[in-house]
Amino acid sequence: MALVETQDLVKNYELGGETVRAVDGVSLSIDRGEYVAIMGASGSGKSTFMNMIGCLDIPTSGEVRIDDIATGDRDGDALAELRNQKIGFVFQQFNLLARTTALDNVAVPLIYAGLGGDERRAKAKAKLEEMGLGDRLDHSPAKLSGGQQQRVAIARALVTDPVILLADEPTGALDSKTSEDIMQIFQTLNDQGITIIVVTHEAEIADHAKRRIEFRDGKVIEDIMTKKRRKAGA
Amino acid sequence: MMGNLVQKASGWLVNVAIAMTALRTNLMRSILTTLGVMIGVFAVTLAVAVGSGAQVSVMQSINALGSNMALVFPQPDTGEGGRRSFDRGRLTMRDARAIEKQISGIDDIAPQLRTNIQLVVAGRNASTNAVGTTPGYGKVSNVVAESGRFISEADVRSAARVVVLGPSVARKLFGDYDPVGETVRINRAPFNVIGVLESKGSSFGNDNDDIAIMPITTTRQRFSGDTLSGPDDLQMLFVGFEDGVSLPTAKREITKLLRERYRVRGKDINPFTIRTTEEFMKESAQVTGIFQIVLVAIASISLLVGGIGIMNIMLVSVTERTREIGLRMALGAKRSDIRNQFLVEAAVLCVIGGAMGLILAIAGGTALTVYADFPVPIGVGVGIGAIIFSAFIGLLFGGYPAVRASRLSPIEALRSE
Repeated sequence: MALVETQDLVKNYELGGETVRAVDGVSLSIDRGEYVAIMGASGSGKSTFMNMIGCLDIPTSGEVRIDDIATGDRDGDALAELRNQKIGFVFQQFNLLARTTALDNVAVPLIYAGLGGDERRAKAKAKLEEMGLGDRLDHSPAKLSGGQQQRVAIARALVTDPVILLADEPTGALDSKTSEDIMQIFQTLNDQGITIIVVTHEAEIADHAKRRIEFRDGKVIEDIMTKKRRKAGA
Repeated sequence: MMGNLVQKASGWLVNVAIAMTALRTNLMRSILTTLGVMIGVFAVTLAVAVGSGAQVSVMQSINALGSNMALVFPQPDTGEGGRRSFDRGRLTMRDARAIEKQISGIDDIAPQLRTNIQLVVAGRNASTNAVGTTPGYGKVSNVVAESGRFISEADVRSAARVVVLGPSVARKLFGDYDPVGETVRINRAPFNVIGVLESKGSSFGNDNDDIAIMPITTTRQRFSGDTLSGPDDLQMLFVGFEDGVSLPTAKREITKLLRERYRVRGKDINPFTIRTTEEFMKESAQVTGIFQIVLVAIASISLLVGGIGIMNIMLVSVTERTREIGLRMALGAKRSDIRNQFLVEAAVLCVIGGAMGLILAIAGGTALTVYADFPVPIGVGVGIGAIIFSAFIGLLFGGYPAVRASRLSPIEALRSE
């Protein structure tokens, strides 16, 4: 069953009086448990596509269905609720709150899920321990390495137990050794059944995924199963 | 239901925690912004307190005059217009007796001649206002002798050289020594001090105890002359009424009686003026009310400036944290969550500023009371009002920036640098 489904998805931007078609009629579906890499040069529309399936951006036309829920007729608050419950985000620049402890950073989505303080702390602590950061709970981002920061961000993405993890260039700000660690974590998560969608322009990162979708000029030009899949840590 | 409430409360607590973190991050900026609200709340609180202090003071001084009475002056009453039939005012001792006899509900009357005198004793001297009157003055004006006695009918009949001193005058001349039985010289003539009045304190910086009282006949014989034309003329007449007497009715009756006595007809103006304590109260309440409104209006300007400061800083804060707003939205924050976060931040700033302003106002009010002898009552109500009002200022001026933050598109906010 399709977890993410798009139908004739179009996104136009007005730029200097001209209409730029960033995403041009994309229809595809991603099933539960898949590990997908979305590739393409910058300006190919891959990030715009990602933002639309993450319900951060509103399509010009076409439809996005998440877990069989139509998103088109939902207002901003309903989309916020959907993101909170179904989708975990990992960003290139980590996007952690400065001067806020790792524990409090991870607990942020739970505030908006309406959980009480004790429950928030308990869940956040458990996720950080899963990420091997049990001894860094009270550290602020400034006192953590890049890899540790990205692991805090992954813990934050997973704390609400979403069905999809959306990662936009998750290793873009990391060295190759640390990138490998993050890929290892994604591998483990996918083995546990979490659907992962990674946007990247690095072939090595894309090689970890089971499926590879390539964008050019807002259109999908290639959608294939990875032949020689790299297993992180193997 | 309960669980929902707890969740809501904890949601607000989280907002307070987020606000405190944000405010600590820009500590200097937060303090300076708070200062604006602090000064505003200080000014408004003190203005309210000074206004009600003035009201209290005025009421006190009217009460010191005597509670339920009419004052009659020999002054042509030009208040309502009309043809002038007298060049000067008229009021005589005979008028006073007629009023006492014919008007009902009168407690006592106090005809008066007032003059400035110089008292000398053993090289010390004091100048004060002497009231030449009758024993009725004591009752009408609520004054009693604390030691010795008040003037008597016999004193008035014989134009005795006796004087009752106000406490301030007594202290100036005799210190703590009880002067009853001593002799003072007033304008070179020896007077016997027969009593000292009970203190009536001061109101509005006016010492009610700086006074000397003597028989009206004595004043007439020794100190009057040039200002009065007839030997029977009065400068003022207090008419004290029993409790429950309607002063407007009494005023009408006295007016009617005096008009008949002076044969004033139709629209001709009266050669006398009658005022009642009730009118004084109403007029003063009006004046102090306006005084208070003006004070508060001026003070409110500083609070407005403080509020604009809050709005300015909150707009800066929203701009600086656009990315954070985008992130929070991506993580599931609804519009109301973002709006509340910034509203709480503004309210926290304002309440802290308001509390400091209130403390400052209490200090300022106490200083005024102690050093300027001016009552500045800052009650619990004013205090709570000031805090609630500053929270309201926070919500008012933080409202626009907060709503603006909540309207951001998640993706655009997230992309901003």
